[in-house]
Amino acid sequence: MNFEGEFELEGVPPETAWSVLSDPMAVRDALKGCRYITPMDDDFNFDKYEAKEDVEMLPEADPDVVADRAFDADQKYAALMQVGVGSVKPQFETTVTITDRDDESFEMLASGGGDASGSSFSMNSGMRIHELENGEGSRIEWWTEADISGRIAQLGSRVIKPVSDKIVNNFFSNIQQQMTDVDEQANSGVTDKLRNML
Amino acid sequence: MSSESDNTAEPREYQHDDDGGPQPEKHCGHGRGGMGEEVTRKEDKRFITGRGNYVDDIKKPRMLHCEIVRSPHAHARIEDIDGSRAMALDDVVAVLTADDLLEHDLATMPTLMDDTQDVLVNDKVKFQSQEVAAVIATDRYAAKDGAEKVKVEYDVLDPVIGAEEALEDDAPVIREELDGQDDNHIFDWETGDPEATEEVFDAAAVTVEEQMEYQRLHPAPIETCGCVADWDPGDDKMTVHMTSQAPHAHRTLFSQVSGIPEHKVRIVSPDVGGGFGNKVPIYPGYVVAAAASYVLERPVKWVEERSENIQTTGFARDYDMTGELAATEDGEIKGVKVDVLADHGAYNAAAQPSKFPAGFFNIFTGSYDIEAAYGSLTGAYTNTAPGGVAYRCSFRVTEAVYLIERMVKVLADELDVDPAEIRRQNFIPSDAFPYESATGWNYDSGDYEKALDKALEMADYEHYREEQQRRIENDADKLIGIGISSFTEVVGAGPGKQCDIAGIEMFDSADLRVNPTGNAVLRVGVQTQGQGHETTFAQIVAEELGMDVDDIVVEHGDTDTEPYGLGTYGSRSTPVAGAAAAVAARKVRDKAKSIAANELEAAEEDIEWDRESGEFHVVGAPDRSITITEIAAGAYMNHPGDEEPGLEATNYYDPPEMTYPFGSYIVVVEVDRETGEVDFEKFVAVDDCGNRINPMIIEGQIHGGLAQGIGTAMMEHVTYDDNGNVTGGDFMNYLLPTANEIPNFETGHTVTPSPHHPIGAKGVGESPTVGSPPAIVNAVVDAMSHADVSHVEMPMTPDAVWEVLDEAGLALEPSANVTFEFDDTTEEPADD
Repeated sequence: MNFEGEFELEGVPPETAWSVLSDPMAVRDALKGCRYITPMDDDFNFDKYEAKEDVEMLPEADPDVVADRAFDADQKYAALMQVGVGSVKPQFETTVTITDRDDESFEMLASGGGDASGSSFSMNSGMRIHELENGEGSRIEWWTEADISGRIAQLGSRVIKPVSDKIVNNFFSNIQQQMTDVDEQANSGVTDKLRNML
Repeated sequence: MSSESDNTAEPREYQHDDDGGPQPEKHCGHGRGGMGEEVTRKEDKRFITGRGNYVDDIKKPRMLHCEIVRSPHAHARIEDIDGSRAMALDDVVAVLTADDLLEHDLATMPTLMDDTQDVLVNDKVKFQSQEVAAVIATDRYAAKDGAEKVKVEYDVLDPVIGAEEALEDDAPVIREELDGQDDNHIFDWETGDPEATEEVFDAAAVTVEEQMEYQRLHPAPIETCGCVADWDPGDDKMTVHMTSQAPHAHRTLFSQVSGIPEHKVRIVSPDVGGGFGNKVPIYPGYVVAAAASYVLERPVKWVEERSENIQTTGFARDYDMTGELAATEDGEIKGVKVDVLADHGAYNAAAQPSKFPAGFFNIFTGSYDIEAAYGSLTGAYTNTAPGGVAYRCSFRVTEAVYLIERMVKVLADELDVDPAEIRRQNFIPSDAFPYESATGWNYDSGDYEKALDKALEMADYEHYREEQQRRIENDADKLIGIGISSFTEVVGAGPGKQCDIAGIEMFDSADLRVNPTGNAVLRVGVQTQGQGHETTFAQIVAEELGMDVDDIVVEHGDTDTEPYGLGTYGSRSTPVAGAAAAVAARKVRDKAKSIAANELEAAEEDIEWDRESGEFHVVGAPDRSITITEIAAGAYMNHPGDEEPGLEATNYYDPPEMTYPFGSYIVVVEVDRETGEVDFEKFVAVDDCGNRINPMIIEGQIHGGLAQGIGTAMMEHVTYDDNGNVTGGDFMNYLLPTANEIPNFETGHTVTPSPHHPIGAKGVGESPTVGSPPAIVNAVVDAMSHADVSHVEMPMTPDAVWEVLDEAGLALEPSANVTFEFDDTTEEPADD
C-alpha cells in the first residue's frame, strides 16, 4: 500500500522544520498513540523499556541535549505505537532504521517494520523539506511504501487510508505547533545553534 | 459411473418392495405421517424453545479453553515462538507449539485428499491465519489475552496468490517439503474422449467459447466449527463433542491420527448449526484441543470466531473455467470442451471421494444429449487457505452445472434462438433413460422437458419476453432479462466401490428397534445439521411399517450408539441412509410377518401387509388383521418358538447407482442502466427429486438453497490482496444475503422416481444452490445480450454490472434528479 502527501507550514523556515523533525521526542509527542521512540540495540526489550517522561522540549530544551538525541543515520530506533482501526486496536512494537539523512537537502529516509498481535507491517519511508516559493515557510513532502499483513490489512484500504490520513494530518498539525513555538524563539538562536551541531 | 474408476462393481439388484414401494403422490402419508405428508418438524420444538444443544452449549467441570495464535503472513518461515509472556498470565495453563505436538506425533494430520497438513506450523506458514500456536487457559478471555502475548518471529517470504500466478515458472514454491515438488502444480485430470471431441468440433458449423470464473466461496454456516475434547485417563477414552457432518469417519481418522484405539474414541455431533460441506474435513483446532486435553487431562473447548471460520476452514469452488460448445446451424449441440484451473490453496484438502480429484465435475454434459465431451483440469497450490469442499452440492457438480448452463445461453445468443427452445431441442429425451453420458455417468431417470414446461408456464415466460423487447425498443432505463437453468445433479454417493473417503466405502446405515409397547428408535449413520432428518427418516419408517410418525424417534450423531455411516453431504442422506432406513424397516416387516402368522394362527405365506392400512392380515380375510403395535408385543411376550425374540433390524446400504435430481429455474431480473443494480422480478423453481417424503421440508430446503444461490451470484467472494491478506474474510467483507436481498420464490415440482432407490427418492437439499446461480447470471446477461454482452462474472455487484453496461454502451449517466450528499460534519468516534 502506498501513502504520500505534502504539508505546508507557513512561516516556518526549512531549517526550523528540519530541526524539529529530527528530534525523536518532538516526533513522539506529535504522533498520536506513540508511547516512545528511542535508540535501540540488539538487547532491547519492549516489555521492560519505560518511556521517559518530563523530557525537555524545544525551544526550552538545551540545544546540546536535543542535538545529542537527534535522529542518526544508520541508527535503529524502537517505537511503541498503538493504532486504532475500527474495532481493532493493536499495539505495534516497531523498529525503524534511519537509512539516510541529508542536512543540506533536508531529506531523511527510513525503513523498518512492526508487529502487533495478529498484524504486522514493513515500510520504506522518506521526507524532504522544500522552501516555499515565496520564501516564507516550508513544504514537507513525504511518502511511504508499506506492506501490511494480518488483521488490519484484512480491513482493506478503504478502511486503512482514512485512518492513516488522520494520523498524518494529526501529526503535522501537532508538529506545526511545536515548530511555531521554536520559530518564535528563533531570535534566541536555538535553531542556528542546533543546525550547527547537527 | 465415471469412466475414470475401473473399480466397477458387479451390477446389483435393486432393493424394491414387493408391493412396488411407496407412491406418495397417490397415497399421501396414509394419515400416519408416512411419505408425502407435511409433518411438522419434530426437532423444531427444541430449537424454537431455545433447548438446542450445540457444541458451545456444552460445559464440563474443570473445562479449559483453547485459543489459536494465527499467522498474519501468508508465506513466512517461523524463526522463533516465545510463549513466556503468555505463560506469565495467571489464568494461562499452557502454550502449545508444533514442538509439543511432535512429542505426541500429532504435529501433522492427513487431509481428505491424502495430503499432510500442519496442525501447528512447524517450519513454514503457507496461508494467512494458519495455526501457529495454541494458548490454553481457564476461560475464553484469558486464552485470548494469552494468544495476544505469544511472540512469533517470522522471516517473511513472497506469497503466491492466484492459481495462474502459482503455475508461472518463477513462482515461489509453496510445498518444497514434499518429495520432488519443485513447483506449485498438484495434479492434472482428464475426462472424456479428446479425439472424438476434436472431430466433432472440427466438423461443427458453429462453435462458441467463454471463460468464466466460479469465484472462491465459503459455506459460512451460522455456527462456526468447534469442539469439546475430553480425555478420560480413568477409562483411557477420548470423547469429542464436535461440529461434524461425518462423526464415524471422523472417529476413524481421529483414531488413526492420535493412535488411540478406535473403540476408545467417541465422537458426538450434537445439534449442528449448518454444515454445507464446511464441517466435513477435520481441522487443526479439533486436533489441538484433543492433544491439549490428553496432555492436561482436562476437558478443552475450542470454538472458532467468524473470521477464523471464513479464513482458515474449507472454502468452496475457485474454478477458473473455459468452456466451448460445438453445434449445428440449427442448434443441435454436438460437443462440449472445458479446461479448468483449480486453486486448491496451500494443501490439497478438497473434500471429495478419493478417486475423484475433481469431484463429479465430469457431469458437465448436464441435461443434454451430447455426443462428445472432453475436459481437462489442473490443480495448483497457492498461499491461501486449503479447501475445495462441496458447499451445498455434490462434489463440484455446482461448477459443472454453471459451466454447461452458461454455455447453452452463450450458444443460444450466438445462434439468436430462444434459450428455452435450444434446451428443449437438446435435452436427453425422457424415454432414453437409463442414459449413459459421454463422460460415463448412468443417469437413472428424468423428464427434463416436463419440468421446463412447468417452469415456463409459472414464470409467464412469453409475457416477459414481450416486455423485454418493449423496453429495448423504448430505450428504457431498466432492462429486463430472463435466465433459465435446466440442471441435472448427481448425488447420493457411493456406490462404495467407486466412492470412498479415506478408503472407507461410502455406504450408509440404519438400525431400527421396535419396543415391546410398539414404538421404535431408528439410529442412522448420517447426521443432521438442520435438514430435518429426525422427521424425514421417521416418516420413511412410518411409511414402511404402518406405524404412526409420532411413535418413532430418530437418533444420530453419537458414534457410541449409532451404526457406522459416512455422513451427511453431497445430498446423500436420503438417497443412501434413507434407503437403509427403508430396507431396515422392511426387514423388520418380514420378521413381523412370522409373528403376525403366530398371533393370527395362520401360515406365514398367507400373511400380507397392506401399505394403505398399515396392517398385516390373512390373505383373503382382511378382517383377520393385526397392527405393528400388537406384533411388537408378541415379539417380546409371545414370540414364535422358531424365531429369536425381539423386533429389530439393521441395514448397511451400498447404493447400486447414484441418483439424478433435476429441475428448471427461471429468473426474471430488471437491470438498472444507471446504477447497475439488479432487481428480481420473478423467481421460479421447479424441482424433481423423485418421490417426495415431506413436501414442506423440501420447500424449506429449496428456499434456503436459493438464498445461497443468490448470495453466490450477487454478493459472496473470498478475496485476497497481493500480500495474501484475506480481504473477504469476515461478515463485513464477505456479504451474505439477508431478507432484504431475497425475493419471493415460486416453487413447483414434478415427480420422476428413481428406479433403483428403495423408496424412489433422489435427494433435494442441494439442487437450488447448484441450479440457481447460472439462472441468475443468464438473466443478467440476457438483459444485455442485445448489446452483445456474453458474460458477467460473479458476484454481480452493482459496480461490476455497471462496468459491463458501460462497456456495452448501455450505461446511463446519473439522471439530474439524483444528488449525492456527503455529510462532512459527522463527529468521528473517539479512539479510546
